[in-house]
Amino acid sequence: MKDAFSTFHPVVNFTYFTAVLLFSMFSLHPVFQAISLTCSVLYFFLLGGQRATRFSLLYLLLFGLFMAVINPAFNHAGVTILFYLKNGNPITLESILYGLASAAMFMAVIMWFSCFNIVMTADKFVYLFGRVVPALALVLSMALRFVPRYRVQIRVISTARQGVGRDVTNGSVFERARNGLQILSMMATWALENAIETADSMKSRGYGLPRRTSFSIFRFDRRDRAVCGVMLLLVSVVFAGAITGSSTMRFFPSLKLPPPNVFSSGVYCAYLALCLLPVIIDLLEELKWKRIKSGL
Amino acid sequence: MQEQPLNAGRPGRRTFIAATLLALVIPGTILFGVFCLGDRKYYFISLLIMLYSMLPFALVFERRRPEARELLVVAVLAAIAVAGRAAFFMLPQFKPVVAIVIITGVCCGAEAGFLVGAVAGFVSNFFFGQGPWAPWQMFSLGVIGFLAGILIKRGFLKKERLPLCLYGGFSAFFIYGGIIDCGSLLMFTPYFSWPALLTVYVSGFWFNVVHAAATVFFLFVLSRPLIEKLDRIKIKYGMLES
Amino acid sequence: METYQIRALSFTYPLREKPALKRIELTVKQGEFVTICGKSGSGKSTLLRHLKTMLTPHGTREGEIFFEGRPLEECDQRTQAAGIGFVLQNPDNQIVTDKVWHELAFGLESLGLESKTIRLRVAEMASFFGIQTWFRKNVTELSGGQKQLLNLASIMAMQPSVLVLDEPTGQLDPIAATDFLGTVKKINCELGTTIIMTEHRLEEVLPLSDRVVVMDQGKIIIDDTPQRVGERLKGMQHTLFWAMPSPVQIYAGVDSDLPCPIAVQDGRKWLNALPLNGRSFEVPAAQCNQGTAPRSKTGPPPAIRLEDVWFRYERDLPDAVKDLSLEVAVGQFYSIVGGNGTGKSTALAIIGGILRPYRGRVHIFGRDICRKGAAKAREEVLNRVALLPQNPQLLFVEKTVELDLYEMLAGAQLSREEKKQKVQAICELTELDGLLKMHPYDLSGGEQQRAALAKVLLREPKILLLDEPTKGLDGHFKFKLADVLKKLTAEGVTVVMVSHDIEFCARYAAVCALFFDGGIITQNTPRAFFSGNNFYTTAANRMARHIFPAAVTIEDVIEACRNSL
Repeated sequence: MKDAFSTFHPVVNFTYFTAVLLFSMFSLHPVFQAISLTCSVLYFFLLGGQRATRFSLLYLLLFGLFMAVINPAFNHAGVTILFYLKNGNPITLESILYGLASAAMFMAVIMWFSCFNIVMTADKFVYLFGRVVPALALVLSMALRFVPRYRVQIRVISTARQGVGRDVTNGSVFERARNGLQILSMMATWALENAIETADSMKSRGYGLPRRTSFSIFRFDRRDRAVCGVMLLLVSVVFAGAITGSSTMRFFPSLKLPPPNVFSSGVYCAYLALCLLPVIIDLLEELKWKRIKSGL
Repeated sequence: MQEQPLNAGRPGRRTFIAATLLALVIPGTILFGVFCLGDRKYYFISLLIMLYSMLPFALVFERRRPEARELLVVAVLAAIAVAGRAAFFMLPQFKPVVAIVIITGVCCGAEAGFLVGAVAGFVSNFFFGQGPWAPWQMFSLGVIGFLAGILIKRGFLKKERLPLCLYGGFSAFFIYGGIIDCGSLLMFTPYFSWPALLTVYVSGFWFNVVHAAATVFFLFVLSRPLIEKLDRIKIKYGMLES
Repeated sequence: METYQIRALSFTYPLREKPALKRIELTVKQGEFVTICGKSGSGKSTLLRHLKTMLTPHGTREGEIFFEGRPLEECDQRTQAAGIGFVLQNPDNQIVTDKVWHELAFGLESLGLESKTIRLRVAEMASFFGIQTWFRKNVTELSGGQKQLLNLASIMAMQPSVLVLDEPTGQLDPIAATDFLGTVKKINCELGTTIIMTEHRLEEVLPLSDRVVVMDQGKIIIDDTPQRVGERLKGMQHTLFWAMPSPVQIYAGVDSDLPCPIAVQDGRKWLNALPLNGRSFEVPAAQCNQGTAPRSKTGPPPAIRLEDVWFRYERDLPDAVKDLSLEVAVGQFYSIVGGNGTGKSTALAIIGGILRPYRGRVHIFGRDICRKGAAKAREEVLNRVALLPQNPQLLFVEKTVELDLYEMLAGAQLSREEKKQKVQAICELTELDGLLKMHPYDLSGGEQQRAALAKVLLREPKILLLDEPTKGLDGHFKFKLADVLKKLTAEGVTVVMVSHDIEFCARYAAVCALFFDGGIITQNTPRAFFSGNNFYTTAANRMARHIFPAAVTIEDVIEACRNSL
């Protein structure tokens, strides 16, 4: 399925991920965590497909488990002591739960970042920076172009050296490293010398004239405005919830959850809607296409 | 064509204002964090302070409207630092990033050193996946390049192989390793404690040792030729630090 | 109105005694198509770079340049940036950003235009150049020819009144080059943009040009129409005459009162108009059909023998080389021609032992280098093989040419004196003497090519593999290269060359082979090979084939004409 959310304006994409990541990192409340983790996995599933999701989840579960075990080993706060370690330190229920909670948070953050990497392509970054720091955005854009080009060049140089009897693929570790350095050094000369022509090309096309503008193919249209509005509304509700304490949970010295009430359930719903936003947009788009097709 | 002279080297009024702002904003952030953020204060305070410290570099660079060739030197060196890894496809864990950032700082000054470090950190995340560690990487690499430039200028560091290797090993182990490990602790464990930090350092010890050793090796072999190359480019085209 | 007026322009680079430009006088009218030709180092590029102040090199200068009636220095940067478009040789180096659309907009952003105008201009140019299909692509995905078109388009988006091109097709293959030059002509005709260009492919450019300026040692020696330039060069006995298009050279070799033909089609008409007596052109039978001589069982093994070789880069990728068989005798000059991306360079890398086929055999001097457990044999054999890559820059390691040459001998068990002798001998052969103290990247393209060749030859290979060695070389250096190769083959070195340069192959190779779709389709002596082809043949043959089908080189056609006049 083609992701519709990534076709929105970069500002929308970026704001969304910033909000979701911040909320995920802040809150250790079980409901918040469950929502964030589930939605991130769901969205990643839509973006990356079944295989990628299965792989990431497996990897993450292992890591999360490790973190959940490590935490109680160092953190001995909490009142409910389960047993004592050999060195006399207590293992508490609170610290185990806390470890689990931070593991879940870690997994959610990583999953959101995985989605972020697919949606926020380099050109969107270049665009966003271009508004604030145009020169650095240009540096970024150039560096992004150079990296693949240099990688290819490294391969080509290594082949060319093989062609004159300088093989890099065998020999001791030290020899291989030396050979690698030789190639890197050749590549650096090539890159620096050739960049001069790029500078000429930039100057020749008027770079450095005052009042440079910044062009992009992104347009902030009605649909972006609508989604932005919804997003801001949800964010402010969740934020209000966070300030009033609906999203915080106390772990130490003893577990304490804020009692659920009408307002906090509203906050949960808002958070769920926020986290599901891209998935909802994708589904709506899918439905629309189904309708158009059946209408034909 | 140029509306203002290039006087970025001297601290001007702008730098003063920026410094005062920072002096106000950083304590403000810490207070806000301590009182409002609860559990996550360490992470967010450190993150925000890092961003503040990177901001002036970006702004100074933007404000003096750098020339095309300056942009190119930063972009090329950052890209070499990232792509350089491909030359060691047969040797995993062999990353030339720190070495190249140091050499940039040494040859092209503290500002270029910082920018190359930060850009390299950012760009490498595009090719290996962005994560919450990106700001820490950018910051630590930037600091390494910046310090290299400052130390050269103040005369504490020389453009010779041995001092560079020493600085390289030190910065890869303590600055890069130290900041990154601390960052990963703050990122995922919502509280901070010295024993926990110590554990993280211990568990990352060999990793950092290998990284430092590789950096020393890089600088030992590459520092002279790379410095020569950069100096040649600078002379030939009158770049940076003119 | 004049686009450019150059008066008594002289220029000397810093720390050089000889001026690079000597009292240049040149006027270019609006809408004109002017081609500047000359050997490498004749000052062409230096002159072009004076046409835009941002690109003008440092040095001492005298004389004046007027752009559209005003002194160039008085034109502000903005006018120059927009009004004078400049295309350089290397397509990759000129591209700044990572997206096609951003690259198109780059110049317009610098000029400070608003988004709406930029959108329109970019759309216009994308349509004019037919690049709307790759508008949103990454620049990395484009081919060399596409990149150069993108450079041209992003400059044209700024609506310049003059377009200056410095060897814009030097790095392109023939098809992309023709495409590019066609687009330049289209710009000249349809938009009325003045064109000033330097170019090695005179064969294709001269028919498009209104005027040709010939430079030699920093001076303009001829400024005339394409028709007259050939004659005048011939009259001056200038070596540059051999770089002229085949029809011009043939015309100069045959007496006639007709006007000089420039393009191949004019050449055909000219031949038809000649009072020929119908005597056909015969070639000695010995020159035909040598390419596939039956292999004697008893003689020495061939230098290279490939049997049913298959290769692909990755398991999931399609085959790059398919069922390739070929045989090259010791001391033979074997050339491979064929389109881009047919696997020629891959085949070369297989012969060089760099890539290993997944099926088939590769015998070098009778030893199989692909067999398992033949690592030692492989290494021994491969020490005798050397490959000169397409881009000579790939071989430069050191900071001077001299150090670079010694680097090649680093592993050898030789005394310092022996090394010195070897390097000296090679320098003499490749004429590098004056350049030894230079940085390899400060050399011109042709000089770099020679330095790389010298490096490769220092290995004293028994088999020399060349990948496009004539790319970007002017006619003069091609002669030199041919000389070097002749000397080598006379000494028993086997040469395999992959090339797009049909004229070069036809003139110097012993065997030509056509590569297509991963394998060799046909091979023969150049004469038999090219007289049998319709498209893949020399310009001289294309011009004269309806009368003298067997005439392949320029000399053949001249001889045939003389015989039958």
